[in-house]
Amino acid sequence: MLPNRSRLSVLVFLLPPLLLYGVAVLFPILQSLFLSFFSWNGISDMEFVGLANYVHMLTGDGVFWRSFFNALGYLAICLVLQLGGALFVASLLTSLRRGAGIIKTLYLLPAVISTVAIAFLFVRIYSIDPVGLLNQVLGWIGLGGLERPWLSDVNTVLAAVSAPEGWRFTGLYMLIIYAALLAVPQELEEAARLDGANQWQMFTKIRFPYIRPVWITTTIMATTYGLRGFDIPYLMTNGGPGQSSELLTTYMYKTAFTSTDFGYASTISVFIVVECLVAVGFILLMLKRKADA
Amino acid sequence: MKKLLRTAAVAAAVTLTLAACGSGGGNPAANVSPTGEIKPRQISWLLSRPADGAVINIMKKVADEYAQTHPGFSLNLITTPDRPSYIQKYETLAAANKLPELFDTDATPFAQQLAKKGTMVDAEKLLKDLGVYDSYRTNALNYQRFDDGSLYMIPFQFELEYFWYNKALFQQAGVSVPKSLDDIPAMCTALRKAGITPLALDGQDQWPLERYVSYQPFRDAGPDFVQKLKKGDAKFSDATGQKTVNWISQLGGASCFQDGFSSQGYSDAQNLFTSGKAAMYNIGTWELSSLATDKLNPAVRNDVDYFTLPATPSSATAANEYVATSGIGMAVNSKTFDPLVSDFLKFALAKYPSEYAATGALSPTTNVQTTIPANATPLYKKAIDQAKDLGSKLAMPWDTQLDPTTNSRLQQELVLLAQGNVKPAEFTSTMDSTIAQNAPKFFK
Repeated sequence: MLPNRSRLSVLVFLLPPLLLYGVAVLFPILQSLFLSFFSWNGISDMEFVGLANYVHMLTGDGVFWRSFFNALGYLAICLVLQLGGALFVASLLTSLRRGAGIIKTLYLLPAVISTVAIAFLFVRIYSIDPVGLLNQVLGWIGLGGLERPWLSDVNTVLAAVSAPEGWRFTGLYMLIIYAALLAVPQELEEAARLDGANQWQMFTKIRFPYIRPVWITTTIMATTYGLRGFDIPYLMTNGGPGQSSELLTTYMYKTAFTSTDFGYASTISVFIVVECLVAVGFILLMLKRKADA
Repeated sequence: MKKLLRTAAVAAAVTLTLAACGSGGGNPAANVSPTGEIKPRQISWLLSRPADGAVINIMKKVADEYAQTHPGFSLNLITTPDRPSYIQKYETLAAANKLPELFDTDATPFAQQLAKKGTMVDAEKLLKDLGVYDSYRTNALNYQRFDDGSLYMIPFQFELEYFWYNKALFQQAGVSVPKSLDDIPAMCTALRKAGITPLALDGQDQWPLERYVSYQPFRDAGPDFVQKLKKGDAKFSDATGQKTVNWISQLGGASCFQDGFSSQGYSDAQNLFTSGKAAMYNIGTWELSSLATDKLNPAVRNDVDYFTLPATPSSATAANEYVATSGIGMAVNSKTFDPLVSDFLKFALAKYPSEYAATGALSPTTNVQTTIPANATPLYKKAIDQAKDLGSKLAMPWDTQLDPTTNSRLQQELVLLAQGNVKPAEFTSTMDSTIAQNAPKFFK
């Protein structure tokens, strides 16, 4: 317990960042909420339309729902690649005696490359004419029948734009999880080993429960980043072909800056905020229940 | 909760205030002769043109010359060549009422709303006042006009769009220059059989494919069709609309465009044609230095020729009428228009045409002769001379005509139609309902 004077000092030091947070985060959210009740193209007079934007979004806009389900698919692929990949690599790293530093650096490298470079890199990798790396490799290993323009095929484009995002951040989450795994007390593991636990049991009964708080944090981070995913899909396909890789974020951006419908774009942005809050709540609930079980 | 509500109310009040500030008007657009002293200062031009292109280089030079006699003057060029990013910047500044002295814009419905608000100086009156109006090509000015005939943008280019083709590849596949648009799907089939990509297309930028949807209606019903379509007075389900929908579907069915075209960009399409892999390439005279000079790959240099948009005797428009654009126009902000801006424009617009024509490009004015570069092939002059025989009707690019939401949806749906992912009936229904939903907001 801090003495009164110290508590006051803490509050005084907390106030500036809180104010900054309010101006940079809370105010724009409130502003979007306010704008979502209007029809406004930026230059005409603002027209109050009540809940009409919300009604249209939820009941009359097929592109919105398509974007929503695409965003869920995008999120699922990103989470599998980011968290699944990170956990797998981090677990392998803990049993590595040499070269862990180099491997960690290599995995982390994509996280520091600019998004634009990643997007252009993957556009080339997926290309069919001139033939890109992926199609070339498929040809070499005798799977030439699978060669296709990955970004132009409506059946593959969503996975194709999700993979670079997953690839990019696997290293980041791997580092976090790796650090957590290193913190697992050796005595616990040794005790489990003496009790005859195999590697799988060691992981599921000892290591994973121990790193659960870190896992929750990384899951929340990856989920919210995934739901806000924008730049790579936008740069690679601009949401296309058709709406096959359109996400809520790219749709919101286009609604605001291409269609100049700032009111409706604000409605979509409010939905994205709510969606992120619901997702975080859902994750906390799920993982808490499992922990309690 | 009470505190939260109070915060929301404050935010709402601030937003309303900001919005009110943003919707303030400027000086009357009709005032093209501001009086008073010329006070040199820095003026800005927000533009969407290649940073090392002729327009920017010439205007920099002209501005430097003007600064010599007007110390303190400078032209600040704010370049954003990427069109979507430019539009975002332009529309955001317009919403905040912070547009600079000069800014680029197409004759879009959004620009028309800005003009109606009095944000832009009336370009027709301005050019007349500066004494240069009559030197402009009628088509160059018409391209910049809004539907009601008003003119608020000044052109800096003049470009003709052709179908460039490879004679050797045509011969190899046993096809000849199409007599009508309807011949093209069969040509594609023949070219594909010969292992040749028929048409190189930049699918990533979307506007090149949108050109194709405008061709059949322009030939079948003339330039008015898109004027009616965009307001919902004509439909894709009409006979003319169906003709273009079915034609695009046929182009897709005959694999006219390169595989995976929707994710391939401008240079991909250009490389495909200039490397001799694609038989045709639909692009404007701004590409002349790549297609009709010794820069072009020697293996195809002597095989390249062009044909204009095919027309039949029964077409509503003549063979010498096709896409002729004067590029993105430059608008003058009425709020910041003063004796300095007026005087600089007078100086610049008098100097610009000869400087521009000297670069080998077609000037938007008729008072100068284009210099054919020393390294040009005979095709260069042929393409430039084509401007002398141009009809009065323009095939307007649809991306500058439709309301923004309809335009985005059309660009998306066209890719699906050309890839065979949607049937013509589905495309028709989607587009007609999109227009019905969005056009009224823009064309009240």
